[in-house]
Amino acid sequence: MIISRQKKFREILRNLKEQNIFIIGCGKCATRLHVGGEPEVLEMEKGLKRAGKTIAGWTVLSSACSIPSWKEVLSQNPAIRESDALLVMSCGTGVAAISRFADIVYPALDTESLGGFSSDEIMEEQCNMCGECTVWMYGGICPIAQCAKGLLNGPCGGAVEGKCELDERPCAWDAIYEKLKKLGKLEYLEIIHEPRNHAKKLRGK
Amino acid sequence: MGFSEKIRSGKFVITAEISPPKGTDTEMMLKDASFIKDVVDAVNITDNQRAVMRMSPLVACCILGQEGYETIMHLTCRDRNRLALQSELLGACALGINNILVMSGDHPAKGDHEGAKPVYDMDSVQLLGLIQKLNRGYDFSGNRLESRTDLCAGAVANMETNELALIKLKKKIKMGARFIQTQAVFDAGSFSMFVAEISDIGFRRSRIIAGIIPLKSEKSARFLNKNIAGIKIPEDIIHKMQTARNPKVAGMEIAAGLIEELRDMCGGIHIMPIGNHENTKAILEMAGII
Ligand code: SF4
Ligand code: SF4
Repeated sequence: MIISRQKKFREILRNLKEQNIFIIGCGKCATRLHVGGEPEVLEMEKGLKRAGKTIAGWTVLSSACSIPSWKEVLSQNPAIRESDALLVMSCGTGVAAISRFADIVYPALDTESLGGFSSDEIMEEQCNMCGECTVWMYGGICPIAQCAKGLLNGPCGGAVEGKCELDERPCAWDAIYEKLKKLGKLEYLEIIHEPRNHAKKLRGK
Repeated sequence: MGFSEKIRSGKFVITAEISPPKGTDTEMMLKDASFIKDVVDAVNITDNQRAVMRMSPLVACCILGQEGYETIMHLTCRDRNRLALQSELLGACALGINNILVMSGDHPAKGDHEGAKPVYDMDSVQLLGLIQKLNRGYDFSGNRLESRTDLCAGAVANMETNELALIKLKKKIKMGARFIQTQAVFDAGSFSMFVAEISDIGFRRSRIIAGIIPLKSEKSARFLNKNIAGIKIPEDIIHKMQTARNPKVAGMEIAAGLIEELRDMCGGIHIMPIGNHENTKAILEMAGII
């Protein structure tokens, strides 16, 4: 699941110069996180109307990041053609997918990280999508994503009372250590890891 | 005898830390260095310490080198990717700066450029491995260098004897750390435990350099305790600072006392006064090592 949060309303309004707006929500992650499902879309509609905008219409796509056919979206939502701009309440990938078909598209959310949802708990920053998953060596806790410095060979020594030197979050390396200890796999910690090969994750391929 | 030969032959070394200027004028830095000119074996030059932007340590080392100082250049993984790290190391070597102290570096969010991109393309273990490669005449990718480096690389450690910290330290040693500089020591007992632990993993105690911070006040002691990882100032020292008629002198006496106690347990000491080196010589004299 992609973790995103809503932009501040006044920031959205600052960018949105157009008058007649169509709002698109997303039925997957954004709905789950309560940042782009139907209730939030309706809330946005209300807010924009109050700010003097006209709302051409709204919809919640089943998933904004995978649109099988734009034609179908248009036939179900003809008001899109009449609008001046689309406001998309999904992660950045949803915005990108829709931008391939539509002209003026604004994101209403800020996309933060690749996370998950497990027993009612939102898990942020679980994976950095590095292109070569080695998370088994770390007991399933990814230091690339969860250590503030992405250190692969052990902790930086900056943690104070178990808290990361960056902020209040616990040091990821303590969790890795505890997990490997529990699994009886502390020998994994002795592996000397080479620097990552970032070519595995080329931008703009 | 230079710093690296002393380390190699197990002779006691004295080093001290100086920050490059936050600006272009090197006068204060040179003045600070002049206090310790004939007292220390080498001057450590910090690298954007605590993620606060300052002049490049390479340039500061070069300027101090021209004035006859031997330097140890700090090199953090925070600000440079693997290309920049290697360029810096080749440049350092060409300028005769051969002592390098490697560390991950405090996170940028801790310093004065909060929004800076944290690089950490390598960690300290990997950077030590890279330096070994450069010394053998190859770059990170395995290309042959036109001429090899002759770098003496060291690493830092907190005096933690927990398993995880020791595993990481072991990796640093495996990857060629020739000396280990510790965080400031305030308790000789826990220092000796640390030394015993790392002797057990096969590192000669003569290559351990103990960090010393002369305290200035009770307040600064409490601040260090609370905010700097790896520093643990025992209550009796804090009490001494609290009740001292002259806290500055008390801080110097405590530092000198610690140096005397640590002297036979390690291969050297490293003084980190926060600010200047006015009193460094006096502390070393009080401790009877110069
Ligand atoms: S190693 Fe970490 S960042 Fe890379 S794919 Fe696996 S979980 Fe994601
Ligand atoms: S304190 Fe722990 S999580 Fe934070 S940067 Fe250091 S090793 Fe990583």
